[in-house]
Amino acid sequence: MADNNNLTEGLVYNYTSATEPPTRDTRIEPTNAFLGSCHSLKRALGQGCAKFNSRYFSQGIGCQLILALGIVRTFQNVVTIIHGPLGCASNNIGLAGFNKTSRALKGKPANDVIWIHTNLNEADVIGGGVEKLKNAILYAEREYRPDVIVIGNSCVPGIIGDDIDSLVDELTPEVSAKLVPVHCEGFRSRFVASGYDAAYHGLLKKLVDPPLRLASVLTGSKEEEARLEKIRRENSRTVNLLNVGSTSYGDEVELSRILSSLGLKVNVLPLYGNIDEIARMGEAALNISICATHDDYLVGHLKERFGTPYVIDTLPIGLKNTNQWLRAIGKALSLETETEKLIELETNQLLEAVEPFKKTLAGKSLWVGGGETRIFTTAEFFQSLGMKVLGLKPHNFDRFAIPMLDDIEDPETAVAVAAGQPAEEIVYLKRLKPDLYVGHGGANGWVLRLGIPTIPLYGQSQNHMGYSGAYELARKAARALLNTNLAKKVAANVTLPFKQKWYDSDPKNNIKEIPNEETLRSSVL
Amino acid sequence: MESNFIERAKSSCALGGAIATISSLPRCVPIVHASGGCAQTLSATYNLGSGYKGPGYCSGTMTPTTSVAENNIVFGGEERLEEQIASTIEVMDGDLYFVVTGCQVEIIGDNAANVTARFQDPKSPVLYASTPGFLGDGFKGYEAVLSSLVANFITPVAKKDKKVVNLLGLMPGQDVFYKGNLANLVYLLGQLGIKANTFFGHDETVEKIKTYGQAGHNLVFSAIHGQQVAKTFEDSHSIPSITVDLPIGDTGTEAFLRAIAEPLKIPKVKLEEVIAKERSYYYGYFQRFLEIYGDLDYQRYAVISADINYAFPLARFVSEDLGWIPHLTVLNEEPEDPGDSARYAEKFKTLTAKVEAKLVFEANTGQLLKRIKESWPLNRNEKYYNQLAPLFIIGSSLDGSVAQKLGAMFLPISYPVTNRAILDRGYTGYRGGLTLAEDIFSALVSNR
Repeated sequence: MADNNNLTEGLVYNYTSATEPPTRDTRIEPTNAFLGSCHSLKRALGQGCAKFNSRYFSQGIGCQLILALGIVRTFQNVVTIIHGPLGCASNNIGLAGFNKTSRALKGKPANDVIWIHTNLNEADVIGGGVEKLKNAILYAEREYRPDVIVIGNSCVPGIIGDDIDSLVDELTPEVSAKLVPVHCEGFRSRFVASGYDAAYHGLLKKLVDPPLRLASVLTGSKEEEARLEKIRRENSRTVNLLNVGSTSYGDEVELSRILSSLGLKVNVLPLYGNIDEIARMGEAALNISICATHDDYLVGHLKERFGTPYVIDTLPIGLKNTNQWLRAIGKALSLETETEKLIELETNQLLEAVEPFKKTLAGKSLWVGGGETRIFTTAEFFQSLGMKVLGLKPHNFDRFAIPMLDDIEDPETAVAVAAGQPAEEIVYLKRLKPDLYVGHGGANGWVLRLGIPTIPLYGQSQNHMGYSGAYELARKAARALLNTNLAKKVAANVTLPFKQKWYDSDPKNNIKEIPNEETLRSSVL
Repeated sequence: MESNFIERAKSSCALGGAIATISSLPRCVPIVHASGGCAQTLSATYNLGSGYKGPGYCSGTMTPTTSVAENNIVFGGEERLEEQIASTIEVMDGDLYFVVTGCQVEIIGDNAANVTARFQDPKSPVLYASTPGFLGDGFKGYEAVLSSLVANFITPVAKKDKKVVNLLGLMPGQDVFYKGNLANLVYLLGQLGIKANTFFGHDETVEKIKTYGQAGHNLVFSAIHGQQVAKTFEDSHSIPSITVDLPIGDTGTEAFLRAIAEPLKIPKVKLEEVIAKERSYYYGYFQRFLEIYGDLDYQRYAVISADINYAFPLARFVSEDLGWIPHLTVLNEEPEDPGDSARYAEKFKTLTAKVEAKLVFEANTGQLLKRIKESWPLNRNEKYYNQLAPLFIIGSSLDGSVAQKLGAMFLPISYPVTNRAILDRGYTGYRGGLTLAEDIFSALVSNR
């Protein structure tokens, strides 16, 4: 089976012997500070510019620990221990109910989400906190009998040098839970996506078993051969659909439906998975990513270590990208004919279904903000319904989304790369006044205060992926435009915390451009 | 005090508390000197977990922050902080800017106080408080921020106004109902002719806050929290403090009013007049529920799981106003001083229900079920078993599954509250007591 994964060309994943993977800062070299257009961003990245850019005025850029825990916290029968002071991941409080409901929605045991803070204090900063961590691990084992205990390491132990890996080695024979250290100290990376790699590094080292097919050479008995043959046959049609924190149950049902209609058996993993399912991740015929920004470390590693093939292409949002995603899968599994038949059927049905919404949406303008692959695919879909894309705000930008720049019709469409921080985006929005904003969690409230109606980019009860997701997106956008009173009323009565001179300024002046030395040298020559 | 790990702590860290406090002050802008994720993560702890109170004027993703990274940890982050303060004043429209620090920069020894002191423009005042997470829970940040405000910003006034009080101890966010609670207290004290300064209430301004050195007294609504701020008021403004319990309902509010009447020199006639008027209002509405209360036997065993500010006031409300059995109170935090713990336990002896109102300290959320089970004889398959039922649990959202396991009715009040949306609701005073009665009764009839 030939892999054809251009997005990961040249990347290597042989980091298992290290306690932690390299951060995205060095492994992928993204940027989170760039203001320009689709056109100028493509040029800047091509020249290796932008990756060192920073800001004079900065707002929060997020913490990789939160994204790492966002993955492992969902596993079944898991306890997460946050090795740090009380604040690290204290936002779990706001998400615990959400995760519990997601478990129920996805048909998993709806248990409480359990986490422990090692509660490092001033004395621990001097004396080290390993003893507290040990007590926390033993408490978790005794009180909850979990399958897995994940330890998320925070800045304080990272700076003072607590050796959590030695503690894990020491305790592994004593506890029945699998112990997974995750090195996700916030200060180490300017890119939160490093947290995905940190979490998957721990999972790959401690939870994933070598596939059974490798074991087959060791066996001789006929019965054993027959058993393995059966497993092999099943595995040849079994694919892993890799979910992310923002895939809803509706998304998972829809994507599984599509893949099942190609005759495939679909495991949805690894979020909300149990330890046995995760252990067997390497056995599938194919690992299917729905987001390169999220998964490359996981699928790349499984391929490099066990030979498990993968597809990492686009994010299946909207007609064009769902079809593109499906074609990549069809090709990898030599199911091209079946795939084309399916695409033809689904395309015709969808186009007919969204027709009524086009009347409301055509000619209206929008801005999309959030994760790079999700916003470009979402924008492309609304563009295909006749909307005008005024701009995009990716939280970071890197190789995984470069091909998507070409999907935006007008190359001069604004792009404001910023992780979370809304200051520059707000200036763009105030000037461009889009009819609709599609935004990431934490962004929509500010935009409503600006008077612009919003719909969420993703959500627990939002199906945005696949064909049904495209229909839902169109339906939702059209509904949002039926009544925009809330945004109007709010904007007339509340203010955002900016000075007028910020609104009047050119936000590009806030970016500290640090040119790539090689580019400098070549321009001098 | 020796500290241990905490399972699902119902708080954040000092920096988290500091951000929640600053973003609840009027038009006040936090500047967080820490790694890039602290501001957003810690904000979310309270912005979501406190009945969806939201980011206020400027927190959440909006929070200005130095976002120090690995190179700043190696080379120091003071230059970056100076740049961030200067640019924040340029961009953000604040009446007051507040620099607070995270663990990373405190460990490497950045002198944020020095950097802050370089900004002396009176039109854009910049304050500073040291708030690394390793100082402790969110209350530590509340204390640090307000203490700095009191010591470094509020103008000293020699002549005090006996009719003015400062309200302390209700931490925004950690007290899910702080806005409504403060509004109710302003109303109640207003009935007595007392003006209450709230810092976080509806019509506060930084300009007004600057004048709070004129107050005759501080009222601290917590045995533990806000005491450091009160001490700072005492040291730098010679304002004495009165510590009281959060007044909820008839019994609690009357006790509160009588406790402050003498030091605040409230005329006896005025005091009795206000109590009579408010009590008449209270029972005028309270009695509306008596038919269903009596017909369906809505007396309950009560288990309270709450922080120190709410635990006793809630136990007192259900015992003295609702006539419930205040069986067990699980306090989610243990005071650092054992003397404080003992004094807190004493309060429960004032409850008049004919049972021992048990009190235990338990910071680990997952231990609540065990604590309740330990408090009552087990069912050993007796034919006649006197069980802990009917039971009502007042706790936080995290305690909901325990109520479910025990078949108890449930109302989340103590932080965190994620399954209710809270806007201007408050539980203090007579009026707030009615609101609480309404919420509890609503829970009782929710399946009808």
